[in-house]
Amino acid sequence: MTSPDGIRQDRTGTRALPEELDKDLTAVGLDQDPSAFRRLFANLAPRLKYFMIKGGMIESAAEDVMQDTMLKVWRKAALFDSSKASASTWVYTIARNVKIDRLRKEHRPEPDPEDPCFVPDDPETGEQAVSRKQDRERIQKAMAMLPPEQMTIIKLSFFEEKSHGEIAEMLDIPLGTVKSRIRLAFRKIRTELEGLK
Amino acid sequence: MNIRHHIGDDTLMAYVNGTLEDALSVVVATHLAICPKCRRSVSLMEDMAGLLLMETEAAALSATEEAMADMIPNRAHPEPHAQDRSSRTQDYSNTGVPMPLAERMPTSLDDIPWRTLGPGVSHYPLPRASAQKVKGTLRLLKIAPGKVMPEHGHSGRELTLVLRGSYIDDFGRFQAGDIADLDSDILHQPVADTAEDCICLIATDAPLKFSGFFSRLLQPVFGF
Ligand SMILES: [Zn+2]
Repeated sequence: MTSPDGIRQDRTGTRALPEELDKDLTAVGLDQDPSAFRRLFANLAPRLKYFMIKGGMIESAAEDVMQDTMLKVWRKAALFDSSKASASTWVYTIARNVKIDRLRKEHRPEPDPEDPCFVPDDPETGEQAVSRKQDRERIQKAMAMLPPEQMTIIKLSFFEEKSHGEIAEMLDIPLGTVKSRIRLAFRKIRTELEGLK
Repeated sequence: MNIRHHIGDDTLMAYVNGTLEDALSVVVATHLAICPKCRRSVSLMEDMAGLLLMETEAAALSATEEAMADMIPNRAHPEPHAQDRSSRTQDYSNTGVPMPLAERMPTSLDDIPWRTLGPGVSHYPLPRASAQKVKGTLRLLKIAPGKVMPEHGHSGRELTLVLRGSYIDDFGRFQAGDIADLDSDILHQPVADTAEDCICLIATDAPLKFSGFFSRLLQPVFGF
């Protein structure tokens, strides 16, 4: 089975609930549970590969990034904290960094919480400390409210990892319009998130 | 630190999806180290990307790829908890600036060998991470009290992070920790407005364009 973009698809692939992924990733981190890793692999590997091909990689490069990412997931799982991020978010950031390191051959500048200059978050109030599940649902609802022209740009940015310049070219709109739509989209999402509390 | 000027969502999103130029990413990461508010925005964007990742179709895997599901747990050793990506080989704590910038600094902020650009204005271009031809510039800029930076516009994006002192321009007052996220075709002329030198970290993804006579004299020094 092939997608419209010519990516070979697997229709039988599993789709676990986000909470199940969080649980499996935690189990890998705590106990190096191989069956939990197998379930994570079945869910994540085919999507990571699809994600990378969709982002413009040739199949062999997408395979490399997927394998490298899954290896890092196994090795670094102890660092995953389900109270701070979803498994899907955590894996996304690993895959993105693998991809950047590959393309640029240099590490991406990132803040480091161990840095003496680092300014930590304010302690969370009870109201802010909502569960990841609720967070996810609220973000999903807020995203669903976006007008199509804003959602298209969000998807091209996250899904195909296109730069603003590439998006402007693809959609044949000025660069400034791409940027202003992104700003509008996030203003709307933040407003919706406030309202959904 | 009371930060009043933050990174624009369009710039943050380019940082999150990995398409932001290296020089601009250094300034973004340096601001993120001291700004919990912008870090929350990054988390929101990464959550959205994670949700989109799980909504994608599943690509077909080869038999070799499928076998990784068993091979990885059998052969690879998990890293001990302490071996985080943050374990650095060097200690940057004496540079007095957040790590994403400290990694690119040759010395502490107090010992920078400034190069004079004009009366009261000096700069220091920072070495770039890769030898590959990279667009854009990354530099420290120092403006003496009351001095004006040459008025300039941009052909691309410019990020200015105030490290010490403060300045005023048409967009307001920028103090330590504040970031000015300026788009192309904006002209501005920052003035250092306290008794202290104003030291900024500036990145562009294209050379600056100066206007005016004085600035044209500086153009060969500044833009390249
Ligand atoms: Zn900020």
